[in-house]
Amino acid sequence: MTSTLTAPRTGEQESTPDRSNWHGAGVWTQIVVLTGRSLRAVLKDPRIVVFSLLQPLIMLTLFSQVFGKALLSSIQTGSYINYLMPAILVTTGIGASLQSGVGLITDMKNGVLGRFRSLPIRMGSVLLARSLADLFRTAVQLLILLGAAAVLFGFSPQGGFLGTFSAWLLALLVSWSLTWVFLAIASWVRKEEVMQSVGFLAMFPLMFASSAFVPLKALPDWLSIVARINPLTYAVDASRDLSLAMPVGTGVFSAVGTSAVLLLVGAFFAVKGFRRPL
Amino acid sequence: MARPPIEVEHVTKDFGKFKALDDVSLRVPQGNVLGLLGHNGAGKTTLVNILSTLAPPTAGTAHVAGYDVVRQRRQVCARIGLTGQFAAVDEQLSGLDNLVLIARLLGASKRAAKQRAEELLTLFELTEAAKRPARTYSGGMRRRLDLAASLVGHPDVIFLDEPTTGLDPTSRMGLWRIVENLVDDGTTVLLTTQYLDEADRLADSITVLSSGKVVASGTAEELKAEVGQRTATATLTDAADSARALEALGRAGLSPVHDEQRNAITTPVNASHELAVVVRALDEAGIEVSGLGLGEPTLDDVYLTLAHHSAEPAA
Repeated sequence: MTSTLTAPRTGEQESTPDRSNWHGAGVWTQIVVLTGRSLRAVLKDPRIVVFSLLQPLIMLTLFSQVFGKALLSSIQTGSYINYLMPAILVTTGIGASLQSGVGLITDMKNGVLGRFRSLPIRMGSVLLARSLADLFRTAVQLLILLGAAAVLFGFSPQGGFLGTFSAWLLALLVSWSLTWVFLAIASWVRKEEVMQSVGFLAMFPLMFASSAFVPLKALPDWLSIVARINPLTYAVDASRDLSLAMPVGTGVFSAVGTSAVLLLVGAFFAVKGFRRPL
Repeated sequence: MARPPIEVEHVTKDFGKFKALDDVSLRVPQGNVLGLLGHNGAGKTTLVNILSTLAPPTAGTAHVAGYDVVRQRRQVCARIGLTGQFAAVDEQLSGLDNLVLIARLLGASKRAAKQRAEELLTLFELTEAAKRPARTYSGGMRRRLDLAASLVGHPDVIFLDEPTTGLDPTSRMGLWRIVENLVDDGTTVLLTTQYLDEADRLADSITVLSSGKVVASGTAEELKAEVGQRTATATLTDAADSARALEALGRAGLSPVHDEQRNAITTPVNASHELAVVVRALDEAGIEVSGLGLGEPTLDDVYLTLAHHSAEPAA
């Protein structure tokens, strides 16, 4: 620490004459570099991947085994796993988006976000990078789940590869749009515990008061009314329509449209909230 | 460029009814270190946050490196380095990756980023820990990595917000040397600290904040002269002379006191020529002394007088 700062500085000037341009990377570079950083954090801590896979795997196992036989008569999809899996894609995607929100709050405590604030970069890039890294993780996670469902439980939807692929894409879109909603909540709430409770309060009723695990007609009347106005029902139905090669009606379009709106609104408030001082 | 690297004009910051900063103005010329002193809650960090664009002022204007901190945020950010009270590094990433990340975000190519990172790791003696995640670093290492991170882009202005709080003495002195080297290179520094020896050693000028107001500013010497009192201390060879010494100095118009433990006579003096008065008075009385010294007022005196007195009425 006794060496001077002058020596390396002049030394560097010779080899990298571009350092005078170090006044902020372009937006594209910002996003690529920051996404890489978030992904690396996931890869370095495989526990995150394992645990985020564990929950949907358990749900998949429990639901397919517990309800499978009982519900077979009330569904027309051949097997319960074919009925269940499109829903698992969507609910897992949503669960992952809640985790993005929690992750952002953890990041805020990490301290490095404080440094990002004092760099000549856009706060939107930081959020976008976070959402992209999480989207990538979710995409891999859903692929693993699809593989497990096919191998272990005999998932073979009528829609075939193309139908399953489009259901996967839809689940990712829903997940990404809700990620922005949760990022918005996270950047205003800024407390992990509050974020977790907000998430669970929103998630559980939404998940069960929907067509995700049982057909609407198997629900009590009042609950089926709730389920009918539950947006998750539409996302799940759309995912099912795609993977089961059922007539793709307005369901898919309204799911895509709703996601797009949520995404824009979420992104607006997320960036606005995130800019507030820590 | 006529503007100094840091120029604050009538900046006020309100948090609801609470005035964190109240009409603060200051300027720091290039290559100078301004020490910002004040109690917790005096507004030091608020001012640093405003200057580093983390928070906008409620009123007033501030320019850093010639750019307006509100309207030209990106230009300001590209030219400053910030080291806060808590190390702002990514705990998951290694020291090397942390520095590369910052360099890339500043716009360096991959190769240049790596080169700059390695350079800084060497400078901050972190080469051996370069590949380890930052969460395994000690407090001192983390602080060094943090300071290194704020220097990646060769900033013109750096803000050090209590940079040595919680550091061991060796790490503190190491950090001081780094700051001194930066200043030699022409970097302008704003340093907030609670440690007066730190301000005394590093700062060219000092501003004391209290309850969001500037209550004093000037060089350490000026502040000491304004507030503190110089003292002359004569250590007696023979303890029995103390009564006669007190009498002799009293006659010379001074107000001496006897320090029995050190067997010395201490008296406040107004200027250095009064030291001669002390010497003459003792000599005429035939008192032998084994030592004679002039005590400078310390920054502690300044701080206690200024920060305390003005803080109390507000509280």
